[in-house]
Parts: sequence; structure tokens; C-alpha cells
Amino acid sequence: MNSLSLLPHQHSERPLDLPYGTFLDLLRAKTEQAPARDFLIFPESSRTYTYAAFYALAVGTADWLSAHVVPGGSISILFRNTPEFLAIFFGAVSHGVTVVPINPDLAAPEIRFIVENSASTAVFYDPDLGGKLKALETEMGPAVKFIPVSNVDLLPKVDVRAVEARLPKVDPTTPASIIYTSGTTGFPKGVVLSHMNFLVDGKGMADWFQFTPETRSLCILPLFHNNGLVVSLTTTLSAGGSIVMVDPKASLRSFWTLVERYHATFTSVMPSILAAILAFGFEGKPGYLKGIICGGQLLPLSLAEKFESRFGVPIFEGFGSTEATSYSSFNPVQVDKRKLGSVGLVMPISDMKVVDDHDAEVPDGVEGELCIRGGNVAIGYHNLPALQALRFRNGWYHCGDFGLRDKDGFYYFRGRKDDLIVKGGEKIYPAEIENVLSQHPNVAESAAIGVDDPILGQEICAFVNLKDISASNEAQLLSFCSKSLARFKQPKRIVIINRLDNMPELPKGPTKKILHRELRDYYQRRLANSEDPEGLKWVLGTQGAG
Amino acid sequence: MTDQELYAAISPLAEQVLQVERFDSTITMMSTPTWDSLTHIQLLSGVERHFGIEIDGDDAFKLTSAEKLVKYLQSKLNQ
Repeated sequence: MNSLSLLPHQHSERPLDLPYGTFLDLLRAKTEQAPARDFLIFPESSRTYTYAAFYALAVGTADWLSAHVVPGGSISILFRNTPEFLAIFFGAVSHGVTVVPINPDLAAPEIRFIVENSASTAVFYDPDLGGKLKALETEMGPAVKFIPVSNVDLLPKVDVRAVEARLPKVDPTTPASIIYTSGTTGFPKGVVLSHMNFLVDGKGMADWFQFTPETRSLCILPLFHNNGLVVSLTTTLSAGGSIVMVDPKASLRSFWTLVERYHATFTSVMPSILAAILAFGFEGKPGYLKGIICGGQLLPLSLAEKFESRFGVPIFEGFGSTEATSYSSFNPVQVDKRKLGSVGLVMPISDMKVVDDHDAEVPDGVEGELCIRGGNVAIGYHNLPALQALRFRNGWYHCGDFGLRDKDGFYYFRGRKDDLIVKGGEKIYPAEIENVLSQHPNVAESAAIGVDDPILGQEICAFVNLKDISASNEAQLLSFCSKSLARFKQPKRIVIINRLDNMPELPKGPTKKILHRELRDYYQRRLANSEDPEGLKWVLGTQGAG
Repeated sequence: MTDQELYAAISPLAEQVLQVERFDSTITMMSTPTWDSLTHIQLLSGVERHFGIEIDGDDAFKLTSAEKLVKYLQSKLNQ
């Protein structure tokens, strides 16, 4: 694979380890090694696919998709963790099509933006979403086909060898997926990931955690995010293991039951999931569970220690981003060699460094911006050349995250360079909320900030300056937000500053830019705990923390 | 209890927890953004308290729609 045409930020000092060039090559190889081994297990629908069965399904789906989209095109998909998501994903990428997974909980305008921005020509979706997507279909007209898919097992059966022979040749650097994440301007930005990106990152993690064909991953994070798609799916597939797929919304209460029932050996979570398991008092035994992979937001050291002490399962914290496919660093799999509180050592698939504002590498122990390069680093942003030039420069991807490296090579994440809010692992820029609030006729200006939350890490608080204080209240503003923003992006709290006696206007710098940091300080000093004195009560209802 | 009686019994709780106007057989986790991992726990805990039952971890992750929840309650309460 040395003849691949790599971008400057995809070169690293380590040799590129890419035994299979595409998703289909990898799936075929693992199928040939163990056709009868379980690959995907879906407990909710009682459907299980062996490697051979899923390979046939993927090839059959590729054939079916050829009637809807041409190689080089893009499609959007809206499913939860179901066989439909995975069959269409594998079918499409095997047909040379780029898949854009969309969170089904996004509001209709948000879905429309992603479909249009990615130039998707078809949208495949769970029929349960019919109400929302039928309206969108009418709005968007005939240029985009909306196709509900209820059960991929009902697709026509094909001659696998004959279809394989017809499939186009797909290069490892071909875009496999565009994953949308929050953008500083308020509009989501598409991160373009190639087959190579997925396979390099997946193999890197499989090797790091010594995954084998006996590995059984429990996937409780959504496949429409890179964590589910890479950490649970691609990593386990790289080792020829099995994956138990569960709906993330329904799995939390059953976490330990699923671990025990399906003999899970690894799972991947956000810190908020660990916090919730502890807060709700869910008891369970680790059984075969060898470790929990954790990242996506700051993991408080006290949370990690408390969880490990209560359940006896090691947590492996790492660092990554969608732009680096998923993780680039991890704590060592040898439990006693971990450094709790750090995000670990760089994996052998990448290089990492810490730089100052002038892009000069800083000495160990000095804080700066974390940078990554290697085969797992994305092609770049979709149709955002200015942002591409800013973040992918001088042969490195600049993460926008602050951290440092110690003398032993362990990295430490310290926080964001900007005002990004990370709520339960979901990344949300304030501008997404502010753009919506600014459309309200009675809002003069607004600013959203992340505030501490015991379960989710952060919640959203929006400060609003009203034109007419008597014309709107908090509930009306929240209701207004709910029409255009997905639930997870909606503020938990709105503060009308006209009603505060010590904030005549939102704090601004010399260029009249709103100072979000000052608002966070204000919230911490004056408003934290003023509405939620009982901490978790809003989450736990009357159940108590048990 | 009939399905109708079960819907009537759990609707006030479900409508409050999930913030939906009407909890009926059309409501699914997929189509209801407010039905998330935390409200799922709240909903099932409320149902347990209301009926004096315990919902196993083996069942909890399968109760992803109003219809499935009511069917489950039907079989559980008839045991």
C-alpha cells in the first residue's frame, strides 16, 4: 500500500499498516477466515449475522443500491444501531459511494442542511421517522430520493460472486463517509474520512488492545457517530471478533445485564455513561469484561477511580477527534502501566505533538495545542477550504485542544482552545444555539455557554437580551429553540439578562465579540446551583441516586 | 387490564417524562427525540413504581416503543 497518494498530514514517521484496502476487502478476508463466526448480534430484534451471512447481505445491498446511486455519489442514512444501518453502510461503500450518517434526533432543518451540504442524492431512513422525513421530502423536491427501509433481510437475494465481479474498484483513499460535527459558525462541518482512515484507525486500536477473534464488543454508542462506527465496529472487525449492537437510548439501564448475558469483553463509552451508571446505582459484575474504552469528553479522575473501585473494570482513556477518525492515543493495555488522568501514549499509527501559537513544538511539560498526523487523519473538511487551511497546516491536523506531554510520552488533555460545549460526548458550538435565538423577533442578542453537569459533563445555558422584557419568557424561548434545534442542543436553562440587576448587556471585548469566558465565570459565581440545589434531581425524578 | 386501560394508567407519567402531548401506540423511541437514555430510565422506574413490578435488564432495552411497553406490561401483569 506504499503507492497510495497520501496528503501531507497523513504521513507519519511510522510505516502505514494497511493489510486491506477497503471495508469490503477487510470483511471478505475475515469472512474467509471464519465464515460461521458470529459477526453482528442485535439482541433487541433477535437477529444475528455470521460473517458469511453479513458478507452476502453487504454485497446484496451494494447491488440493490446500484439502482439508486452511482459510484462517487453520496447518500445520507438515518437509522439507529440496526442491521439496516450497517447493511446500507457496507453496501454503499463497497459500491464506491460515500455515506453520510445523520443523527435521527436532529431537527428537520438540521437534517436538510446536512443532506444538501453533502450533496446526497438519496436519503435512506427508518420508517419510524416517516413523519419528519415525509415533510422534508416534500420541501426538498425530486432532486433527493427519500427511501424508507424497514428490513434489509427482505432485499432480493443475489449471486454474491456475480455481484462482486460487477462492483467498481474502490481505492483506499476514496471517501467512505462524511461525518458532520458542530462548527464554529453555527453550521455543522463535514469531516471526510476515507476507507484508509477507518481501517488504519481500527487496526491500530485492535492491535493496541490485543483484540482477537474471541473479542466481543458491546456497542452502546450510536453508529452515526465515529465512536460507534470506528471503535466498536471497525476495530472489532479488524480482529475478526463479534459485536453486540444495542440502541444507545435503551441500553444504559441494561448495561451490566448486556455485559453478562453476551459475555462482552470490551465496550466503549463516554464519561457521562460511567457517571450515570454510578449515579443511578446500577449494580453488576464485570464478568468477561476486560476493559472500558473511554473518551470524547474530559474524564474526571475521581469518576474513573470511583468506577474502577466499585466494579473492578479498568478504564482506558484516550484522545482523538473525528478529524483523526477516532482515537490517536490511549493508555497502555497493561493496567499497571496506565497513568490515570492522562489520555495515554500515541498509538503506532500516528505522530502527535504539542505546539505553541507559532506552530513551534514545545518542550515536555509545557501546555500547547495538540496536533496529529498519520494514516488515520481525515482527508479534510467538505467544501470548507478556509477552515481546511487553518486546521490542516504544515503537515499536521491542529485539534484546537489544549494539552501537554510528560517526560514519559503520556499526553494530558486540558481543555478546548475555543468555546465548544461537550454535553454527554456531543459537541456543540455556541453559535448553533445563538443563530437560532437570533431569529426570534424579540431577541436583541444572545450567548450560549457550557455549564457543569454531574452526569453529562456539561449542560447548556443561554443568556438572552430581550428587546421588550414583557413580550417573552424563558419557556417561550425554549419552545422557540425546540423547533429548530435537536433536543440535545437545546438549552437546559435560559437567563434573561434584562432581569439581572448586575448585567446591563452581554460582556464584550474591544471588537464587540461576546466574551463567553466571562459569562461562564458569571454563571459559576452567581447562578450555579441557584435552580438545581438538589443536584441530580432533574435526572433522577423521585427515584433517588440509590 | 386491557391495552386501553394500560395506556390510560401510564400516559400521565409517560407524557410528563417524555414531554409528549399524547402517549399512544404511535410513540416510539426512534420518533421521539425526548425519549433518550435518561428519560428511558425515568419512564421505566415510574412504571415499576406504579405497578409494583420489577423490569429486568434483559427486557428494559427492548421496550423501545409505547406498543412494546404496553405488550410487556400485559404479559407481566398476567403472570
